[in-house]
Amino acid sequence: MSSDNPQQGQGRPLPKKEQDLFKNVVKFYESKNYKKGMKNADQILKRFPNHGETLCMKGLILNGMAISAVGGSKDKKREEGEEMKKEAVELVKRGLMMDMRSHVCWHVYGLLHRSSQNYTEAIKAYKQALRIDEENLQILRDMSLLQIQMRDLIGFKETRLRILTLRPSSKVHWLSYALSVHVNGDAEAAVGILDSYFGTLEEGCEEFQKNFESSELALYKNQLLSETKGEDEDGLGGVRKALEHLDEIETVVVDQTGWLKAKLSYQLQLGKFEDAKDTVFILFERGLTEEHRVHGAYMCALLKCDRATCLEVEKMKGTGTLVTLRPISEEERNILLDAYGSKHGLSKLYPRSNGIKRIYITILPTNGEEFKTAIDKYCQKQITKGVPSLGADLSSLYLMEDSLSSGSRLMLAADPLDVNAHPVHVLLVDLIEAYITSLSSNNSFPSGDGECPPSALLWAWYLRSILHEQVAEYAQGITLINKCIDHTPTAVDFYELKARLLEAGGDIQQAADVIDAGRDLDHQDRYINNQTTKTFLRAGRDEDAKKRIALFTREQGTPEQYLYDMQCAWYELELADLLRRKGEFGRSLRKYMAVVKHYEDYHEDQFDFHSYCIRKVTMRAYCDLLRFEDDLWGLPNYGRAAEEIVKIYLYIHDNPSALESDAEPDYSKMTPAERKKAKNMARKKKNAAGKGGSKSDTKSNSNGGSGNVKKSKPHAIDEDPSGKELLALNYLDEAKKYAAILARHSPKSVSSWALQYDVSVRRGKMLMGLQSLFKMKSIDSNCHQLFSRVVDFSRRLESRSSKCHDTSEEIISAEFPKLMGGNTLSEFVNSAIERVKSDAATDLPMRTAVAKAIVTLGEGSAPDSLSVILDSKLNCRCVNVDSCREALEFIASVGGDSGKGQFQALLVTKFPFLKDF
Amino acid sequence: MGKLSVDFGMINSDNIEQLQPYLCSYIITKKTNENAQQQQQQQLKKINQACFPVAYGDSFYRDMAKKSDENLCKFAYYSGLAIGAICTRVEPIPDDPNGRSRLYIMTIGVLAAYRNHGIGSKMVESIMEYYENEKDGKLSTVDEIMVHTQTSNVDAMKFYMDRFGFEKGELVENYYKRIDPPHCYILRKKLR
Repeated sequence: MSSDNPQQGQGRPLPKKEQDLFKNVVKFYESKNYKKGMKNADQILKRFPNHGETLCMKGLILNGMAISAVGGSKDKKREEGEEMKKEAVELVKRGLMMDMRSHVCWHVYGLLHRSSQNYTEAIKAYKQALRIDEENLQILRDMSLLQIQMRDLIGFKETRLRILTLRPSSKVHWLSYALSVHVNGDAEAAVGILDSYFGTLEEGCEEFQKNFESSELALYKNQLLSETKGEDEDGLGGVRKALEHLDEIETVVVDQTGWLKAKLSYQLQLGKFEDAKDTVFILFERGLTEEHRVHGAYMCALLKCDRATCLEVEKMKGTGTLVTLRPISEEERNILLDAYGSKHGLSKLYPRSNGIKRIYITILPTNGEEFKTAIDKYCQKQITKGVPSLGADLSSLYLMEDSLSSGSRLMLAADPLDVNAHPVHVLLVDLIEAYITSLSSNNSFPSGDGECPPSALLWAWYLRSILHEQVAEYAQGITLINKCIDHTPTAVDFYELKARLLEAGGDIQQAADVIDAGRDLDHQDRYINNQTTKTFLRAGRDEDAKKRIALFTREQGTPEQYLYDMQCAWYELELADLLRRKGEFGRSLRKYMAVVKHYEDYHEDQFDFHSYCIRKVTMRAYCDLLRFEDDLWGLPNYGRAAEEIVKIYLYIHDNPSALESDAEPDYSKMTPAERKKAKNMARKKKNAAGKGGSKSDTKSNSNGGSGNVKKSKPHAIDEDPSGKELLALNYLDEAKKYAAILARHSPKSVSSWALQYDVSVRRGKMLMGLQSLFKMKSIDSNCHQLFSRVVDFSRRLESRSSKCHDTSEEIISAEFPKLMGGNTLSEFVNSAIERVKSDAATDLPMRTAVAKAIVTLGEGSAPDSLSVILDSKLNCRCVNVDSCREALEFIASVGGDSGKGQFQALLVTKFPFLKDF
Repeated sequence: MGKLSVDFGMINSDNIEQLQPYLCSYIITKKTNENAQQQQQQQLKKINQACFPVAYGDSFYRDMAKKSDENLCKFAYYSGLAIGAICTRVEPIPDDPNGRSRLYIMTIGVLAAYRNHGIGSKMVESIMEYYENEKDGKLSTVDEIMVHTQTSNVDAMKFYMDRFGFEKGELVENYYKRIDPPHCYILRKKLR
């Protein structure tokens, strides 16, 4: 030790006895034997009270104890844990101060940061430790884990290389280094590294035998090869090499299906369609006749599709195949029919496969006689059997051209208007009507071969009711489903459908009661229980909802806590929606944030896999995991939570008074008059509730004073159930944060950019707003979100007080007119009016947006604006309870009672059960 | 209409597969948890409400779950749907000097749409079968099986008498309170 050792005489270096004790401390810490570790550390500290490394270790052990205490469920323990954590941090800091030159201290300091998920700080500490002890493998390894977790890919690669150089004999280090090069985008070099690794092995050793690890490694190398560019001009050299490589590794591969699927994919990409067909048949023989991706690949081979299409089909989900991806020509159709038909096609080879039968129906031209016969046979079979999902199954036949892709892709008709016009729907309606007539008169199908079971009529009614539901004929649907319930009152499905019809038809309260009655018939069915909970939440009955969901939560602890621990996002989202509708923004934000937290946890959870996967050589799955984690923030539930968070923050930014009165029914752009009215209503309601005694919802109201935290029994880890902390943040900053995440991770969604726009213009960032508008235009140039924001943007340009930087101004004045097709705002709006008037199907939100623009810009009279909405007779797209509510609000604000009356008359025809409008 | 294959037994995934007209029974047992019992009461209630003009009170269903012998209370299932139910109990024969008892069919019903498929017969048969198996065991005190039948319900009387050899017993006047005619016959069959 050098003479400037700051710890000289403080036990550095430690005498033999203490050194042994210290080793024990480390050992006990690693085996989580905290109490013993603590004892040993104290023993050292008795003699050397300022020994830095021991102080640090003691802190680390205390931290470990704190974590296990916090993990417990009891409140008291939790508080103790928090205290211990603070003490632990103090100890480590003191230890570090005592001995800044010890790599142990820095390492511990890093570990402490890591345990509180402060990864950036942890990496810094590790780097400091490595400066002192360059070759400390443990620290290097810990750091590399943090680097891949944080996606510091370059740093990760460097660290892995250092580790490999230090210990070139370890397989794990070779694989990790190869992976680190791979994630940096150089598949070619990664292959080289794997080859070098293989070069270090002796011939005939276990790594070359057929076993799981060698198989996974071989397939990983194969995957890498396919990602390389290769030397060939078409850029497919890598794929070619990968295909050859497959033959080399065949003897070691245990995942034969994976091997075959890889082969199939390469063959298709290289245009070797005949070979691909052979591979498909091998897969079929292995029992994959029900896997739609194999069928997708088969169709690509049959039709000799180009590489891009093949790759697109390969990624399709569920029952998607080539025929549900894009329209096919008559010639192509005939090829496919031949291949799938019963003469000498797949239907003959695999007569027992349901998948093949179903795909055959999808291929058939929907206008032909054969389609009719096939669908007839299929329906008869399923109805006789009693398959409740038949309606959903058949709706996947409502294929139509996707307007956004200008006809090059297919999509499913979902809007009632489109479904109603769809030939398959028309056909199904005729078919099922005929079934019902025939079944109810002589209990057999029209084709009349033999008697049917008594339940056939039941399921025919049920299917017909679903067909009504699909085209928004709620009253007719209810009539039929009531018949079903009278026929067999013990089946849960019927109550569920009835509730769905009631909900869509406008009566959410009755829907909740109906589905709850259905739930009562089957207490073991978690699905129906969840549906009931959801319906109760939508009906604003959170107490009832909680009672239902509690039937499936564990008994100890509150249900909310349990659901949070189980990361039950759907419940939290629905509850947050409910709170938002009630105007309890703090509590609502809190619930949305809980979902955000789940996603952070998912991200956190990958940590353990970094070392585990490489050790187990599950490299392909590990790569998938890394990719999945990178796209985590683009998943639907996260998107829903983040969008609502942004909307709430924007709303309370625009309406600071919303937080004062607790009950604001809806925050989506209300007109001032409407808002005033709503507030009055809320006030009245509140007074009434006050008179009625202390109701539960007044008790739990969010911002009612400081003492309410205890009263409303917050669950243990939730220190801020009313979301006060969230409401204390800067609204625009928070909105900006989440809008940016959405724009980055869900760039294909119009609403991401709409929110990005809303946030940008409020922050005065006009250029960013403009960019968002262009993004929206590139996704869907006819959407109402874009239209209303273009109008908004031009109005903001006129009315703003300060201008942007000159360059920005230039860009704005040059680019903005492009959004309006080079026209003035007035021309732009007028052309939209024309478009709406000429196309009867133009969706309701667009109509409302145009009508609003007419009024705000003075492009027409109030009756003009009303006619944009009323002329549709609501026979247009996107007519649902929410869009109608928004339209009604607008109409009431402009058109007075007569306009409102007209619209309400229309509403009654569309929503027969409508309440509270 | 004998194309139904009829069978009794617990629902399990094996026989769900062969849904092509299929019938099986589910048993109210004391062992299953309270939740399941409540749900079975609901199912039974739905079936009884649909089948009988008489409404039974909640206490009827509660007692059923608590007291009855699982072999005497059965649901009939048809392609996974509960469509019929029978509830029987063992009760002492009133004023019998030897203290003998009888099987009393309290309710038996099949949803209208599923009648004439032999489901009711199967349910009664299953009771008879149980008696045969247990006549020297659990049911050793049982001498007869009986049922109340509304005087107007000719079909039911035919059902019990023709198919199972029940005999028409005495007329009980004003047995029912809210339905017309209020009288009923006692049908019984000596079992030993």
